[in-house]
Amino acid sequence: MSEMKIVNKAKLIEFLENLTPDFEVIVPWRENGNLLFGSLAYAKPEIDFIDRPLVPPKEYLLPQREELFTFTTKGGEIEVEAHLNKERRAIWGIRPCDLYGIKTLDSIFLSSYIDTYYQARRENTILMGLNCNEPCGMGFCSSMGSGPFATDSFDLLFTDLGNRFLVEIGSKAGEDLIERKANLFTTASDEDKGRSNELEKQCKQAFQRSVNLDMVKAALSKAWDDALWAEESKSCILCGGCNFICPTCHCFNIEDIADKYVQASTRVRYWDSCQLGGFTQMAAENTRKTQAERLRQRIYHKFSYIPANYNGVIGCTGCGRCIEVCPGEIDITNILGRMK
Amino acid sequence: MKKILTTCEFCGCGCNFYLGAEDDKVVAVYPCTSHPVSQGKVCIKGWMGHEYIHSPERLKTPLIRQGDKFSEASWNEAYKLIADKLRQIKKQYGSDSIAVFASAKCTNEENYLLQKFTRAVIGTNNVDHCARLCHSSTVIGLSQTFGSGAMTNSIPEIGNADVIFVIGSNTSEQHPLVANYIVKAVRRGARLIIADPRQIQLTKLATIHLSHRVGTDVALINGILNVIIAENLVDKEFVSSRTEGFEELKQGVAGFTPQKASQITGVPTEKIIEAARIYATGKSSSIIYAMGITQHTTGVDNVMSCANLAMLTGNVGKESTGVNPLRGQNNVQGACDMGALPNVFPGYQAVTNNELRQKFEKAWGVELPSQPGITVTGAMNRMIDGDLKALYIMGENPMISDPDMNHTEKALKRLEFLVVQDIFLTETARLANVVLPGVSFAEKDGTFTSTERKVQRVRKAIEPIGQSKPDWKIITELSSYLGYKMDYSSPSEVMNEIAKLTLSYSGISYNRLESGGLSWPCPSPDHPGTPYLHKEKFTRAGGRGKFFAIPYRPPAELPDDDYPFTLTTGRVGFHWHTATMTRKDWAMDREYPRGFVEINPQDAARIGVRNGAMVKVTSRRGDISLQAKVVDTIQEGLVFIPFHFAEAAANKLTPANLDPVAKIPEYKVCAVKLEKG
Repeated sequence: MSEMKIVNKAKLIEFLENLTPDFEVIVPWRENGNLLFGSLAYAKPEIDFIDRPLVPPKEYLLPQREELFTFTTKGGEIEVEAHLNKERRAIWGIRPCDLYGIKTLDSIFLSSYIDTYYQARRENTILMGLNCNEPCGMGFCSSMGSGPFATDSFDLLFTDLGNRFLVEIGSKAGEDLIERKANLFTTASDEDKGRSNELEKQCKQAFQRSVNLDMVKAALSKAWDDALWAEESKSCILCGGCNFICPTCHCFNIEDIADKYVQASTRVRYWDSCQLGGFTQMAAENTRKTQAERLRQRIYHKFSYIPANYNGVIGCTGCGRCIEVCPGEIDITNILGRMK
Repeated sequence: MKKILTTCEFCGCGCNFYLGAEDDKVVAVYPCTSHPVSQGKVCIKGWMGHEYIHSPERLKTPLIRQGDKFSEASWNEAYKLIADKLRQIKKQYGSDSIAVFASAKCTNEENYLLQKFTRAVIGTNNVDHCARLCHSSTVIGLSQTFGSGAMTNSIPEIGNADVIFVIGSNTSEQHPLVANYIVKAVRRGARLIIADPRQIQLTKLATIHLSHRVGTDVALINGILNVIIAENLVDKEFVSSRTEGFEELKQGVAGFTPQKASQITGVPTEKIIEAARIYATGKSSSIIYAMGITQHTTGVDNVMSCANLAMLTGNVGKESTGVNPLRGQNNVQGACDMGALPNVFPGYQAVTNNELRQKFEKAWGVELPSQPGITVTGAMNRMIDGDLKALYIMGENPMISDPDMNHTEKALKRLEFLVVQDIFLTETARLANVVLPGVSFAEKDGTFTSTERKVQRVRKAIEPIGQSKPDWKIITELSSYLGYKMDYSSPSEVMNEIAKLTLSYSGISYNRLESGGLSWPCPSPDHPGTPYLHKEKFTRAGGRGKFFAIPYRPPAELPDDDYPFTLTTGRVGFHWHTATMTRKDWAMDREYPRGFVEINPQDAARIGVRNGAMVKVTSRRGDISLQAKVVDTIQEGLVFIPFHFAEAAANKLTPANLDPVAKIPEYKVCAVKLEKG
């Protein structure tokens, strides 16, 4: 385990810019109050911020719309051209909730069945996390064990100590990045590490939202028929937002777009949502006809099925985005709190 | 990837989000957290409704009809043909033999230019658009009562209302971010009154749901007015200082007891009384309405009744109150503001007013016609009569959206010359002589005006597909072929011209819009915009709002022995109007791949039809076959069909019965019969 480093805040951009010939560097940037991820090439990075972009960085590994391959038929022969994206990218400013989310996605896409598209992107993406010194508006990651400070799943992990960052090295790839501009980094002192621990403790104490995860786990077997699902889903308008902005949601749909004018078809993968009726529509029936059943599915998938299938990793990082994005004002912490 | 902030192309909420563009394709959507209406939220159409932009079916070149087929043409060929034909028809039959349908989907700049083209180049006031079919009742009804036909308050204010009265609006499906504010208000303790013949999603959150018979809205509200007066719940101070006509109203509703209202509407008397008490005693009560009350032969009456209700209780000109029509299209408010209407120039300045007309004549450098033109609904009859020879349609699909489809088809086929400008070969475009390929909202710059009068930027994210052109460019280029120069280097310049001629838009410029939307009236460059109207006085001449005693008139076509069911039409949240766009989005198509008719279980049993079975629905105009959706959220004797599906077109059944003043069709009521198969 390498030693921890220190880099001055003022030097961060220099460090990131140095990466640009070999990587597309992605950073958080803010426009008119909106925090988004963007390429360093055209976005001035936001370095001092409390919150996180509403759309998590999972989209760099699993895009909202991804052209998988194109195929044409010329004189009876089928020609296929795959579009694996192997461009190297380095993302800075990933919050612990999103690092945990990527860990969950790795479990799903890189286990017994390897998703080659996800794999191509994942293998070429460097993750640079940024711990949270303050809870964000809706977050409850401290209850989920996924934040506010990360413990794993990063190549580099930054902690904001005021005028400087403490930098933890999580992998060889991370170490290589530091080597490129070694002169910018000094060794972290015990004081630095102590300060970081202080900040983590302070942050944990400041959370407004919490969830009793043990109680939720215990309640899963009893809550299936509870009236709470119908009640909590009353205002759901089937926007899909809760799935789209979730760091662990990953369900997708595949469509072939046939262009008869150029005699070619493209197979495209899109984000999908289990909250939509068509998600489980089959030839004769829809197995989840009501919004209550779909809300229940979302919760059980995250808290029961994913942990059962993927060695205890939980399908919820406590980032609170689903609360923010919901036009129906549905709050997952209320739902979890009602499960007894 | 570029991330471009823009305004949604679908409904009148006017949400903003970022479009992610990569390799000149729209590939992602990012909610806008700082926007006061969308607040980081997006409905399903906003998230997944943009795939149509890259559909292989997009029109990529102009098309010219050769017999039964279309052949690709160059822009020069298309422009030349259109210019020659319009010139010839104008010479032979006069300017008024030509009409133009503008587009509630296109930008303000485009609608402004198109009405300018119609008036300055063609020389007629025959310009109208689909607002005729949805909120023309609102424009007239609220103009007469308040002086201004627009939503009185802003969307965020709804979140702080004490009482919300939703009538004729399925808000969760049609204006999802307005529904969000209603949900917020209810969670804060607000009471929600719903008046709708169907149970809607908001009914689950409602304090009281009034399930009145379709078309009995005036009776319902008159009953409520009667109770408010009888129980002394009138805001006397407001009535005396801010209104006129109270005595006439009082007399007019004196006989409309809740018992009488109950008889007509079918709503239990106690519920009418309860609703009246809740609305009248709210600290700030807000009325929200939409098509359920506007699309009637009594559409104007229905709107004026809502105005009566708000004025009687002092719920206008204050925060979180008002009469709030939810404009449907992304820019139907703007298209009206821009004068794409037969009787007014931009800013609702009457064409018959000599002084105002001269102002426009000076600005545009030509003499302008002074006679009001025809409406889109009136135009259909004129086409059949042979008076209207040529029609230029931008971004509208009257074949599927107008009532009485057979009548519409007959009318359009009678034309000597039809030009359709659209992004797909719609059912209407298929009948055209020339088709011009316009672009989607992602391929051009401009502005849209939302239902809360907020003017916002639409920003180009990708290049036009194929050889298509931004609609504003097409209009200016066509104009030059007809000898009238329209020289603008960008839509921003068009907005500057609009601002000079339209008081309510005077303070609006692209520079200012960079920091966010501006709600008109915005009369000067330092004016912050106006969240709610009629604060100190009504915009009506004299400054007072006017009460009108509205008599109850039943709908034009009611069920009888031959056609024993009432048909009401409407929408679902996943498809957009004639579904030209949304049926090319897999997510929307997957939810509703085909049309359906909602039937009450008792009725279904009676005609021997179960859920999913085919039903033939027939009216005096035509018939369609579609699947039954047996639900208990609809009254016995009533059926509901969404109008999105061309092969099961609800408008094959609807009648062109119009409100006498607004000329809006009664989409919401007609008589049908149902048969198995």
